[in-house]
Amino acid sequence: MRRALRYLAVAAIAGLVLVLLLGFRRDPQDIRTGTVGHPAPAFDLPALDGTGRVALSSYAGKVVIVNFWASWCIPCKQENPTLVDIWERYHTADVVLIGIVYQDSTAAARDYTARLGNRWPSGIDADGRTALAYGVFGIPETFFIGPDGVIAGRHVGPIDTATLAAGIEALRPGATR
Amino acid sequence: MSAGRLAILLALVALVAAAGWALRPEPVSSGQRVARIAAELRCPVCQGLSVQDSPSETAREMRDLVARRVAEGKSDDQIRAEFRRAYGDWIFLAPPLAGPSALVWLFPFLVIMGGGAVAIGRIRRAPVPAAPVPAEPDPRVSELRARVAREEASEG
Repeated sequence: MRRALRYLAVAAIAGLVLVLLLGFRRDPQDIRTGTVGHPAPAFDLPALDGTGRVALSSYAGKVVIVNFWASWCIPCKQENPTLVDIWERYHTADVVLIGIVYQDSTAAARDYTARLGNRWPSGIDADGRTALAYGVFGIPETFFIGPDGVIAGRHVGPIDTATLAAGIEALRPGATR
Repeated sequence: MSAGRLAILLALVALVAAAGWALRPEPVSSGQRVARIAAELRCPVCQGLSVQDSPSETAREMRDLVARRVAEGKSDDQIRAEFRRAYGDWIFLAPPLAGPSALVWLFPFLVIMGGGAVAIGRIRRAPVPAAPVPAEPDPRVSELRARVAREEASEG
């Protein structure tokens, strides 16, 4: 009985260590729960520049990067050069970058894009419904949507060029996934 | 049926009816439904606060969405499913009693049952304490000793 208890205690501690090891190996910014692996929720938002609408359905069959941001968000500003870099490199290819303005005023967001030179379309998520449909935890947050319309990955927090480019390349037609 | 039995039967029927009336489901207003569902949801930008309790903008938007879905006639389960689709089971403050999260609920009971089994096993194997021995010798023994001594003396 006592030996069995000892084995049980060792097994319990080993299980706990295994769970912790697996947990610590995961990138905390690479969140797999929620919408990942499911079709991207549709959205049709008023364009930030006032020229019309920004709808996901307009970009069917393309790799779409959806980035939630706000002008008051410091990490969003920190990652902005990465977004500019990626847009410059990929906007002629079948890769679309869409910004979604979350919890911000239209005037402040327009001023932000003008100052930082953002030329990709942004939509205004005035009531936060789009962010809630995507399961956004906090901004900035970036979603990778494949040509099949399925969310292949998400990145919580500011993203760097290497991570963003790797995510795009993995989704481009011909890429081995 | 005698009058006495009829009275008992009527009393039983009245008791069941009264219990049924007391336990009837209370009509729930839309506001109460919104508050109840919001209290089950975890605020994504807070530390351990429900959507109902959080003053954050995100929580307010989530409460508005719940209220809108209630107004649209969606059931509680449909509203919960919408949030689960976006955030997974993480969005619920109490993990559901299904799938891997059921372990969170079952594990304490398994530990208690295991502990109980160990305790019962130990109690059964514990040695039975010896009966207490009287400090004073039985008076009959003293009497017997005295008689033997007398007999030995008389025998010489």
